[in-house]
Amino acid sequence: MIVQTQYVTFERELRLHSGATLGPITLAYETYGTLNQDRNNAILICHAWSGDAHVAGYHTPNDSKPGWWDEAVGPGKAFDTDKYFIVCSNTIGGCSGSTGPASINPKTGRPYSLSFPIVTISDMVEAQRWLMDHLGLPYWVSVTGGSMGGMQALQWAVSYPERTRSAIVLAATAALSPQTIALNEVARQAIYADPNWNKGDYYGKAPPNAGLAVARMIGHITFLSDTSMREKFGRRLKNEKFGYSFETEFEVESYLRYRGNAFTKRFDANSFLYLSKAMDYFDLAYGLPSLASAFRHIVDTRFLVVSYTSDWLYPSWQSKELVRALLQNGLDATYVEIDSTYGHDAFLLEVDRLAEITRDFLKRVETTDWRVTVSI
Amino acid sequence: MASHRLDLEAIIDLIPPKARVLDLGCGDGLLLAMLAQRRQAIARGVELVEANVRACIARGLSVRQGNIEEGLADYSDQAFDYVILSETLAYLDRPLPVVIEMLRVGKHAVISFDNAGYWADRWRALRGDATGNDLCSGDPRARAITLPQFATLVACAGARVEQHIFVGRRGRVHHWPALFARIAVYVISRS
Repeated sequence: MIVQTQYVTFERELRLHSGATLGPITLAYETYGTLNQDRNNAILICHAWSGDAHVAGYHTPNDSKPGWWDEAVGPGKAFDTDKYFIVCSNTIGGCSGSTGPASINPKTGRPYSLSFPIVTISDMVEAQRWLMDHLGLPYWVSVTGGSMGGMQALQWAVSYPERTRSAIVLAATAALSPQTIALNEVARQAIYADPNWNKGDYYGKAPPNAGLAVARMIGHITFLSDTSMREKFGRRLKNEKFGYSFETEFEVESYLRYRGNAFTKRFDANSFLYLSKAMDYFDLAYGLPSLASAFRHIVDTRFLVVSYTSDWLYPSWQSKELVRALLQNGLDATYVEIDSTYGHDAFLLEVDRLAEITRDFLKRVETTDWRVTVSI
Repeated sequence: MASHRLDLEAIIDLIPPKARVLDLGCGDGLLLAMLAQRRQAIARGVELVEANVRACIARGLSVRQGNIEEGLADYSDQAFDYVILSETLAYLDRPLPVVIEMLRVGKHAVISFDNAGYWADRWRALRGDATGNDLCSGDPRARAITLPQFATLVACAGARVEQHIFVGRRGRVHHWPALFARIAVYVISRS
């Protein structure tokens, strides 16, 4: 499956949650499958922290790796491109084609850097809604994603329930726990501490790769589990014996260093900071008496919430809390806790069981009435 | 298994059309699917085992994975017309709070269980054999429940029996259920 990233630029300004404005806004997006005559077979996939619009397939036949969720998106897969028109866009604040801190601010002719306004998950959704209108889609059959993508799926159901027939929320939460905010803060501090960061002003100069690599290493620890680390690395050494030095000796160290360095080649440190703040601020109950009240206005949107037993970054109790808030509103919510040792990464790896669940869930979504009509 | 089917048929008979139903420990969703199909029930379930939850989703049901206590706590007062506990009472650690919660969440509770006072069980006990699961089978620990014991539970829960169906070896039992019912199905509500 060969795909091309497409771009759309909106020449207007988006009023952000913080009160600031951002515009013009460019969104990078990819589509897979065919939009049907009634334009009602579209599914939106939202990516996680380090993801991009390239969810599946290859850009060229020579690409070494497919998109980030190729196992789940394609003909006959969990999100079946023979059946659905699948859309994935890079979030605002990102660095893979959509407007973010590395983009040129048209008012100054220079990169935004830290003058880029703080964006929230609901701002990302608002920009995606512009894309949805641009594509002429009345509603999504489903909005789905894992981790930060799952937060966007939830936000879609809250912001635009009449355009969200269902939400499939994987390894996510309705609000970040203090533990996760703490880990994000440590990752940010690693970037701030790199002299190359220079308060965000490093474009055209050496970027803060050392800081970003450490930030990513922290991330990779949180994506795995105790068990998956033991299975993947054990205490195995690169060489046969201890070297009694500070060289990289344990395989787990070498894995983290490799992943950290590889990340700096494809990701912008400022985007990393902005997206981490967007997640920290995410709290559907913010300013409300309870989480349940966040869903009070939703009528017909169906929810599938999936958590993974060994995920300690977004642990199952958070998904259960979310499901409780949905059920208290009498909403149709299905919850599955998939038994997996892969930790937070399980949403990307446990694709077979997920495929079975999503197929059955989407079948039900499609066979039930959808009364809401939207004119664009 | 055949007796389990009799239990399901009895429960279906007790549920009026278009009721909102919550099945606690719904397994692979057989009863809920039957209720949705034959009674047009608005069916929801709670199930602990992941594979069973996936089987329920395959049947087009909306199910929440979790234990019974968690599942009940999710719902607001009187969210359902019927809350079902089918062949599960014997396995609960603390049955009373569960029954009280069932009557908070539902207008009626439907509870079915194997009658440990069934004559053949009494005969086995009299001969010195065990009642309940045998030790080698690997079946989970279960309580032996008799009809008078259940009546006490209903009273402790501040509830009353609205309806009951007793199923014996050859269909419904109308006389001496404490002795001849293999399965008892009760509908109870707050008194």
